Amino acid sequence: MKFNYLTIKSKLAIFGAACILAASCSNDPAKEGGDELPEDTTKVTSNGVLNVNGQLFSIPSPVQTAMLIQKAGAEYDKGILNVSSKSTQYTTNYSKALNLGIYGADLGYVTMYNKSQDALGYLGTLKKLADDLGVSGAFDQETMKRINDNITDKDSMLVLVGIAYRASDQYLKGEKKNDVSGLILTGGWLESLHFAIQTNKVKENTEIKNRIAQQKQSLGSIIKLLSAYKTQPEYGDLVVQLEELQKIYDTIEFKYIYEKPETDAANKITTLNNRTEVNVSKEQLDKIAAKVQEIREKIINPVKS
Amino acid sequence: MKNIFLKTTLVLCLVFALNNKAKAQCDTIANICAKHIINSFISDGQTYRALLLNQDETAEFHTTFFGETVYRIAACSGMTDGNLTFYIYDQDRTLLFSNKDYKNAPYWDFKVKATIDDVIIEAKLDGGSAGSGCAVILIGFKQATAVKK
Repeated sequence: MKFNYLTIKSKLAIFGAACILAASCSNDPAKEGGDELPEDTTKVTSNGVLNVNGQLFSIPSPVQTAMLIQKAGAEYDKGILNVSSKSTQYTTNYSKALNLGIYGADLGYVTMYNKSQDALGYLGTLKKLADDLGVSGAFDQETMKRINDNITDKDSMLVLVGIAYRASDQYLKGEKKNDVSGLILTGGWLESLHFAIQTNKVKENTEIKNRIAQQKQSLGSIIKLLSAYKTQPEYGDLVVQLEELQKIYDTIEFKYIYEKPETDAANKITTLNNRTEVNVSKEQLDKIAAKVQEIREKIINPVKS
Repeated sequence: MKNIFLKTTLVLCLVFALNNKAKAQCDTIANICAKHIINSFISDGQTYRALLLNQDETAEFHTTFFGETVYRIAACSGMTDGNLTFYIYDQDRTLLFSNKDYKNAPYWDFKVKATIDDVIIEAKLDGGSAGSGCAVILIGFKQATAVKK
């Protein structure tokens, strides 16, 4: 009897160990890929604000900058994008995640200009990288079919790609892989800033120039988000580079003037009437451009750098 | 000694099961919430989620609202609308909007004339409707066609 009792206990212990093993191994793209990504934690601070690694983070969609560029009348320039066939160079999860963000922004850009053929190339690359990272659910067969069916319809394409990226983000956050999600956001943010810089170089435009300058908050969020993982060498290098970029942004002057918002309750819409001014010099823009190019180069050509 | 090991194992299993349940709950709420980001809006590609244990806890994040854009904020907790109160502040912590004044409307649109570099979004469970749970906020955007400068 005693022997049987111990056997049950042993079985329970094995079951428990299996549970823990399952928890630590399930859907873990980092481990599948070989290079481990650090775990993150969720905690509640003493002031009652619930944080994920210190804060929740929000980075504006790269599509917003692509929209501004197209609206400003800039011509389509395929040369400013990362070549989709380069994706085989990205062998680590770190590199794949950053470039998944970059290619997502590129897809947004080509879509804004209705370049269906180029969009197809980027879609294939996105799917491959997403599969490699274990977020294939975001670009599953059904989603890919819907995107392909709407490849010539710019508005539908942008909506569908936004949904796919949100699904990927939801999956990664659910799996507590905020680091991977953060790298994807970082790649997208950096690429959209690169579009704006390159477009403004060809033909100066005040709105685009202001958009380049208005990235201080996003950059700050990215640095805070990635800093949680900076003990890892790749993350650490990237954070240092981004902090150098932040120093340039710190020199830009902003002026914010509050104006009372107006709400139309029937239509559930509030108009934010504030006014803002931003003063950015050519010298500051040149410094930002040089730093962004340096950071982007290391991401898109990891073998060379 | 063996009893301690057994108990520890069972507790870990329970924690694992609860964690999975919370994750599934958050996923379900995020999917419900996504219905408020209708097709005229493009998702910003992110889900903002936090497990709020009581009505005193606040989930907070910062973002940028670009000028000449209409944003839609959808805020959800639980399986029905109206459980989550959200607040939008500017960089000086001046309150710009709260859905609390509109029966915790599950979504609201914001027409932004000029870029606000640092927008603070806070969310709290509503005292009357929910005890604890997963809070989800989603953001969608579209170009404003008739924003006067």
